Amino acid sequence: MKRANKILTILMFLFLYAPMAVLIVASFNTGNDITNFEGFTFRQYALLFKDSTLLSLLGNSVLVALLSSFIAVAFGTVAAVGIHNLNPKMRKVVMRLTDIPMTNPDIVTGVSLSLLFIFVGSNLLGAKAALNFGTLLIAHVTFCLPYVILNVMPKLKQMDRSLTDAAMDLGCTPLQSFFKVTLPEIMPGIIAGGIMAFTMSLDDFVISYFVTGPGFITLPVEIYSYTKKPIQPKIYAMFTLLFGLIFVLMLTMNLLQINAEKKKKDTRVRVESKGMRIFKRAGAVALALCLLLGCVFLGVQANQHTIILNVYNWGMNIADGTDDTLDIIAAFEEKYPHIKVNYSTYDSNEVLYTKLKNGGISVDVIIPSDYMIDRMIEENMLLELNYDNIPNFSYVDASFRNPDYDPENKYSVPYTWGTVGILYNTKYVDSADVTGWELLWNEKYAGKILMIDNSRDAFGIAQYLLGYDVNTMDKAQLQECADKLAQQRPLVQQYVMDQIYATMQNEEAYVAAYYAGDCMLMMEENPDLAFYLPEHQGFNLFTDAMCIPTCAQEKEAAELFINFLCDPEISGANMDYICYASPISEAKNYMEDYLAESQIVYPSSQILEKGTSYAYLSEDISRYVEGLYQHATKTADQSQTDNPNSLWPIVAVIALVGVAGVVWFLRKKKK
Amino acid sequence: MKKNKSSLGVMLSLPYMIWMAVFTLIPLGVVCYYALTDPDTGAFSWVNVTMLGEYWSVLGRSILYSLVSALICLLLGYPVAYFIAHQGKVAQKILYMLVMLPMCMSFLLRTLAWVGLLQDTGIINDFLDLIGIGRLQLIRTPAAVILGMVYNYLPYMILPLYATIVKIDHRLVEAAEDLGCNSLQVFTKVIFPLSVPGILSGITMVFVPAVSTFYISQKLGNTDTILIGDIIEKWFKQGNNPHLGAALSLVLMILVFVCTGIMNRFGGEEEGVIV
Amino acid sequence: MEFDGERILDGINLYINDHEFLTLLGPSGCGKTTTLRIIGGFLTPTSGTVTFDGQVINDVPPYKRQINTVFQRYALFPHLDVYENVAFGLHIKKMSKEEIHTRVTEMLAVVGLKGYENRHIQNLSGGQQQRVAIARALVNEPKVLLLDEPLGALDLRLRKDMQNELKRIQQATGITFVYVTHDQEEALSMSDTVVVMDKGRIQQIGKPEDIYNEPKNAFVADFIGESNILDGIMLEDFKVKFFGRTFKCLDAGFAPNEPVDVVIRPEDIDFVPVEEGHLTGTVTSVTFKGLNYDIIVDFKGFKWLIQTTDFQPVGATVGIRLNPEDIHIMHKSAYSGMFGDYSSYSAEYDELTEDAADEEE
Repeated sequence: MKRANKILTILMFLFLYAPMAVLIVASFNTGNDITNFEGFTFRQYALLFKDSTLLSLLGNSVLVALLSSFIAVAFGTVAAVGIHNLNPKMRKVVMRLTDIPMTNPDIVTGVSLSLLFIFVGSNLLGAKAALNFGTLLIAHVTFCLPYVILNVMPKLKQMDRSLTDAAMDLGCTPLQSFFKVTLPEIMPGIIAGGIMAFTMSLDDFVISYFVTGPGFITLPVEIYSYTKKPIQPKIYAMFTLLFGLIFVLMLTMNLLQINAEKKKKDTRVRVESKGMRIFKRAGAVALALCLLLGCVFLGVQANQHTIILNVYNWGMNIADGTDDTLDIIAAFEEKYPHIKVNYSTYDSNEVLYTKLKNGGISVDVIIPSDYMIDRMIEENMLLELNYDNIPNFSYVDASFRNPDYDPENKYSVPYTWGTVGILYNTKYVDSADVTGWELLWNEKYAGKILMIDNSRDAFGIAQYLLGYDVNTMDKAQLQECADKLAQQRPLVQQYVMDQIYATMQNEEAYVAAYYAGDCMLMMEENPDLAFYLPEHQGFNLFTDAMCIPTCAQEKEAAELFINFLCDPEISGANMDYICYASPISEAKNYMEDYLAESQIVYPSSQILEKGTSYAYLSEDISRYVEGLYQHATKTADQSQTDNPNSLWPIVAVIALVGVAGVVWFLRKKKK
Repeated sequence: MKKNKSSLGVMLSLPYMIWMAVFTLIPLGVVCYYALTDPDTGAFSWVNVTMLGEYWSVLGRSILYSLVSALICLLLGYPVAYFIAHQGKVAQKILYMLVMLPMCMSFLLRTLAWVGLLQDTGIINDFLDLIGIGRLQLIRTPAAVILGMVYNYLPYMILPLYATIVKIDHRLVEAAEDLGCNSLQVFTKVIFPLSVPGILSGITMVFVPAVSTFYISQKLGNTDTILIGDIIEKWFKQGNNPHLGAALSLVLMILVFVCTGIMNRFGGEEEGVIV
Repeated sequence: MEFDGERILDGINLYINDHEFLTLLGPSGCGKTTTLRIIGGFLTPTSGTVTFDGQVINDVPPYKRQINTVFQRYALFPHLDVYENVAFGLHIKKMSKEEIHTRVTEMLAVVGLKGYENRHIQNLSGGQQQRVAIARALVNEPKVLLLDEPLGALDLRLRKDMQNELKRIQQATGITFVYVTHDQEEALSMSDTVVVMDKGRIQQIGKPEDIYNEPKNAFVADFIGESNILDGIMLEDFKVKFFGRTFKCLDAGFAPNEPVDVVIRPEDIDFVPVEEGHLTGTVTSVTFKGLNYDIIVDFKGFKWLIQTTDFQPVGATVGIRLNPEDIHIMHKSAYSGMFGDYSSYSAEYDELTEDAADEEE
């Protein structure tokens, strides 16, 4: 029995630590693939320390964690003393209140707070950026407070009440007795609560994800979008460093505690060792320094760059300096030192639209696609551009000027264009099957198909397959498309956007529908991948264009940024990385030849004729389509999908046993 | 004198009460408001609530998966907590720390590591291939999602269990032995009943985050393992319908409160274990 | 018996008879609880044997021994009520429901807890918890009942009552009781046999009267009651010399001129007029104790404690007589010279010894 326990414990620790070990090993890998260790290197660490974005994100996280835990400790300790002195009835009520954030699922807390901030900030106060550093801090303080309260309360309860009486008897004022007697007694609780609050805040993703805007992002939130894309191994390096740091911190704390306890036992008198005292002092000083530095850091950030420009772009849609490309943002900041770019990403037009529509955020440059620009213009979500600030617009090809979605180019400057096609793995897919969009419905590849995860593109594919107009407003036709998508669902492994990279490159899926430029990128990583454009059925031809939304706060800087990206040299360098086609022909001169000559990036004009663009339909139809889409892809009935290998029987048995156990147990209890 | 103390209490705790009311109760009210208003007109309507019907299957799946993972966590966590609680003081502290440590690391990245372990070309499959078993479909299964939940929330089970078991007076064990219990009986008659508060608190602490998670299924699951948290995220972040999202959050919240209510009821008035 | 490399018990040789009330008495850390735990089976001795009815039971686990224990601070199961606590052992033995019911009810009546069946343990007073603990052990009809300082947590009055109660129960049931305490008064008043222990060794085994009247060494003499212990020389049988004088005594069997410890109990000493005394001294302190006075008398620099009903003022010169039956002779031992001098006498000596013996684990 004991040995079994021991073995189980060892296995459990293996289970808990194996994934982390994988990440740590991956941080020393010369290759990018987590599963394939190619050689040992410290390169990722060097890259990490060069990456100012990641480091400043980490700084943000630490700053929020320090501030919120500090506020929560001060606020919470006072509150705990107050609660302790309440009459029992009141105390119970307050403790119930304290329990709410503890028992509420994080997602509900995040959602409810974000709705409150948007409701009050945007609708009532009319603030442009209702979700900002302040709201993030409020949310963190709110979920940190219960940890402090719940750690301090028991210490207060344990404390002998006559201690404070004795102190007052000896001449202390109530305040003095608090500082001289109560505080030292409850200190362990305060410290424990503070540490817990700090770690919770530092690692919080779910709540932050909902309550923060692109203006101030913490590391975990950005890691979420990092993990959707092919992840850069320098993130593993950061993980490793944080792991080491936390491990050493926890270990020293524990060892010090053990030591102190031993000493206490030896002498039976509570004497603080000199080392401990120095350690504590040093800790306090370090904490104060950190706070100070944090404030200075924020101040400097605000002062040095008088302008902070929030750029909100698709994932993997700007050259960032990796693989010997140009770091466009760094180049821009170098040219305009007074502007600091704050860059964040979304992964579909719908996500972008939702963010802007829900309000609460302020961004200065966005890069939506054609139909979405149409919609945003219609809904007055974009600002007119001042072309005095965008002289480089002259480089844009005539064919890309005055498009249907923005007839006078009042609101948008084209950024890239491209097609949507099929990416497939030649190793697994029979070339005879590559006949058109129906490949995505081919049962031979069930479970190995990735479908694009946004309503417009998904419906577009169904419409091309069924031979309908992609801009139809006929609800019967749309319903038919939805049925087609629902029919596809059992075959689909996942509905993906940026996640497509990892899955296709790892050969976890064989067939996918996606944007040509991204497909090019993936083909560079995995030579077995191939791109196919179903010319005979039709395909989507899209343009992404740069716009300034009405919530923008730095319009002029935004125009400078747009202008910068229209520079042919910059545009060319940018396309080298993102593999899309530039609407600026001159950029081809600065692109690598294989791209400029690629049929995938720049299809011939005969092919392009077969492509169609999406237009904005109407508010009513958009919502209708969205509803159909969510139903078809997320919840539609799929009775025939259970495959015989599935683990459902086992799961059902376990659940049954569990329920039986609970019933048995409850009956016992009643007795 | 008593009155004095009470008024001091009110004075000191009032700001806290106001803060918590403003930032926990009112937001829940706002959620209700959104849940019960029409997305287009903003007028009162039941439309979101009627649309919930579509999501019962997803909700049911979320509950099932999280219950199963809570039970697995219990089965795995109990022996471990028991083992830790019966070590020397120093070993206990170190083991406790080792259980806590993963909770402080990014759960996104740790879950991502499982993708590397489980995927078709992943480390485990490479190994299975090497020893001749051949590659298995590990990732994109319900089991993978449950594994992700168990992995992420196992420490939430171990810590409260440990806290309760370690508090069980060893003399009670001796008393039971003295009264004729063999070691199995000591466990079933004394240790297990006494660790019930820890079990309940552990199940709650695993169930609540598991039922509301929205990342694990995206990474480890397929289209049939989508969970309620994923749907809520979709409606808020992509589907542009916070009203429906709010209605779903409300359902989730009620579910969780009912569950914890039941747990608390059967757990008696004993104070919850703080971790 | 060794524990953590430290020798806890050394050369324990103890026979316990049927139906007897045996007490292990000693200061904290003397090994009495360890002895008890070995008998109970919670510890296995590193060497030596434990026999029960002629069978070696070293490796028999506690749950197979016909021995039950009343634990220090009771160890009642907090998740069960009074009835379930008492019925616990019987349930384990798979007795029928009816039989359990009759036996538990009976036992609760014996310990005076009728009507408390469904009370929760937390809602009982210390004395009531004590009774439950006893009932829980006794209901199993053990051959031997081990009691580990069962009255330690009770206040003085309750303690006296429970002492009588325990003795009554023991006599009524005829079960062998092995009782651990550090309270000498408790030991003397309840036991048939007292085992005085210190530093892991048995110092003396005997009837309470014998232990008190004929302590084997300075430790026992001091631990049981109060004693003035002096250095003396046994000149020959029935003759002992101390303070430069030869006294008659009742002890024999020592080597000629063997150095010995002489014990004189404070209550055995009577004041006499100075001229009639064997010894004369000066009163240095007087404490009124209710029944008697504690008087400290300085005899040539050696301070004696004398308990008497005769009041003597401080500074008075007094004489004492020592009758042969008042003088007890002990062999010299490791404890010689450590006890029996009242130079640093304090009126609170009782409390002092009790504080020192607070907890034993």
